[in-house]
Amino acid sequence: MITLYDYELSGNCYKLRLLMSILGIDHKTVPVDFYPGREHKSEWFLKLNPLGQLPVIDDDGLVLRDAQAILVYLASKYDPSGTWYPRENPALLGEISQWLAFADGITGTASAARLHDALFYDFDIDAARAGAHRLFRILDEHLWFVEQEGRQWICSAPQPTIADIACFPYIMLSEEGGISRQDYPAIRRWCDRVKRIKGFIVMSGVFPAGPARAAA
Amino acid sequence: MLEAARSQWHPIAAAHDLPFRHVFHGQLLGREFAVWRADDGYINIWENRCLHRGVRLSIGINDGRELKCQYHGWRYSNRTAGCTYIPAHPADAPARTITNRTFPAVERYGLVWSSEEPLGEVPDVAGLAEGKLLALRGIPVNAPADKVVEKLKAYRFQPTGAIDGNGAEIAVEAAQDFAVALRSRAGAAETVGVFFVQPVDSNRSVIRGVLDQDAEGAARIAILRHHNERLSKLRDEVERDVANAPAPAPIEPIYERVSAELAEMPELTAHGRKAALRVAVARKWRTADGIAGFELRPVKGILPTFQPGAHIDVHMPNGEIRQYSITNGPGETGSFTIGVKLEPDSKGGSKCMHETVREGDVLAISEPRNNFPLRRDAIKTIFVAGGIGITPLLAMAQALKNQELTHELHYFAQGEQHLAFADRLAELGDALKPHLGLSPDATGAELRRVLAEYRNGMHLYICGPGPMLEAARRIAAEQGWPDSAVHFEYFKNTNKIDDSSSFEVALARSCVTLQVPAGKTILQVMRESGIDVPSSCEQGACGTCVATVIEGEPDHQDVYLNDAERKAGTKIMTCVSRAKSARLVLDI
Repeated sequence: MITLYDYELSGNCYKLRLLMSILGIDHKTVPVDFYPGREHKSEWFLKLNPLGQLPVIDDDGLVLRDAQAILVYLASKYDPSGTWYPRENPALLGEISQWLAFADGITGTASAARLHDALFYDFDIDAARAGAHRLFRILDEHLWFVEQEGRQWICSAPQPTIADIACFPYIMLSEEGGISRQDYPAIRRWCDRVKRIKGFIVMSGVFPAGPARAAA
Repeated sequence: MLEAARSQWHPIAAAHDLPFRHVFHGQLLGREFAVWRADDGYINIWENRCLHRGVRLSIGINDGRELKCQYHGWRYSNRTAGCTYIPAHPADAPARTITNRTFPAVERYGLVWSSEEPLGEVPDVAGLAEGKLLALRGIPVNAPADKVVEKLKAYRFQPTGAIDGNGAEIAVEAAQDFAVALRSRAGAAETVGVFFVQPVDSNRSVIRGVLDQDAEGAARIAILRHHNERLSKLRDEVERDVANAPAPAPIEPIYERVSAELAEMPELTAHGRKAALRVAVARKWRTADGIAGFELRPVKGILPTFQPGAHIDVHMPNGEIRQYSITNGPGETGSFTIGVKLEPDSKGGSKCMHETVREGDVLAISEPRNNFPLRRDAIKTIFVAGGIGITPLLAMAQALKNQELTHELHYFAQGEQHLAFADRLAELGDALKPHLGLSPDATGAELRRVLAEYRNGMHLYICGPGPMLEAARRIAAEQGWPDSAVHFEYFKNTNKIDDSSSFEVALARSCVTLQVPAGKTILQVMRESGIDVPSSCEQGACGTCVATVIEGEPDHQDVYLNDAERKAGTKIMTCVSRAKSARLVLDI
């Protein structure tokens, strides 16, 4: 059984809960008091992850840190369809890795802005917001052409991949850091599509979408 | 310039920004919009705030017919923006004043246009013919519109036929406050591009370009990328130019309170029954044996919001007034569809509708009124319809179907040929359970089966002929359905009205005391004294003239109230009911 060291309001923990829900992976969670308790810097947690960061999983003794790394692991091991992280397709794996790194960039900007506004972190808020807008412009442009070329997801596969899951949470929570998505209509439409993936779950600040229109 | 811009049309989105079941977040001159396309294709442009708590409707849910706010689930109808349901008040019909502000929407040149207070129509753009255009990706720019327009005059691009070349000749064909038209020429290739600049706010704009020719496949993508790249570069330059200048203050949009039209009190009329709307009979057809369907379209403007269960008064050419339920599904607001059964002993109502009223005729109708509201919080809803009693229940079943809420519609009729509105029924799928050609006894047995398993949280709605309705109510009560879960609507009140009593009525809020003599109703006496009270059927069936009783014992003669409500004695139908006590005090 997988144990997820979890903080309810963390977008990086949520992306693991989200993928596990979509893939139907049974797991339990251990809540870590990230705020205000700073339990992720406590002695017992630093033994699990010396970086002092959430999330961490323990899968029968295999302890892994880093949200993007854990997505790779979970999809590789537990997705029988093999579409979320298609190990046989090098080009697609390259694409996915590229957007996983992009998701880290979103964490470093949009999530940082949210930590500043909501949990009083001492960050350069203007730089964080400007950085998030720079990334969102790139992603919106990418997704607009994705639509124009008749596709739906961040990578060029016909199905969603872990790249979509990795980018989604802190985009969806960006307004909690004062970053409006009004100028990114293609991102907003893609968010609707992610919310309609079977098994989708929400977290605080992430609202569900209604059903898609039935094919006529 | 921005002041004059309020009366002009501006693009606020591209047509491709509005897929079905999505809500686009738009803005024009500082005012935010929630923009959504309903399943019938209608584009709604609304003030971006829920009337309840001000939450942005752009994060709401577009269910194809209604927009639902994410915060407390208030639902607003396609087209009218009127509230149709408030989850915290599941048994009540929302007031008509709960209507969001709407803005005009026109789809043209691959763009969606709107305006705060438009003068005239969307302008014709020289050089752009409908049909074979290419709308470019909109480019948001953090700069004032005039700065963007200035920069666009020097925009350089390759014509569509020579996209890989360089050094095309550019001529400015036209330039206005919010648009620049450019012609690009390279050899024989020639393309006109019109670049509209949407003034989002004092310091924000969107460039919305349209080319005069479309392309296919890879060539199309190459053109889109060509412009995206060059317009993005132009954006970066404008943003750099304005970065050092102080940003102008954002525009403060003016929020209307309730619109003037909704806020005003309706006019007083002599008989008290109002018919403020004019509709034309767009279609009249035989929808079942002895039942005519009428599709009523507004002569001008749009129809007001209706909720499932609502009825309208139809004022007929012969002077008669009758009530008919609206059969429409949710969000279907372009016309009202009603069903009229020809009554063999018609006193002029159904006969006139069947024989005199024709397609194209104009009728006066009242605003929709809902005295038969539908809860949308039941764990399961059962509808029991008898004959023409299908009409309000059909509207209700369509609403639940759209929200995927559990329901069954039991439709009792003499035969297949008596089932009305077959197209609407077909859309209900398995939820529709027809019961055909049953005798009264067999109907009773079937009702006993249908109503057998009451569980807490279920609700029952009945409409049909008197005897069947009585039987269904009785059977429901016998099988454990509480009064509060059984909702019904009679066609008419067949009780013999005893109007022999005389008594005193005190109207507490109006500070008036009136004498009601034998032979006159409370409603008549109030009207004679200049007190305007809404009414509709005026025979104790529809519930429009209900009043709250503060003191005294009512003598109920209506068929609207249920037994529990009658016993409680706190409500009275002023059109037929009277007083057992010498004095009644009403909250009017």
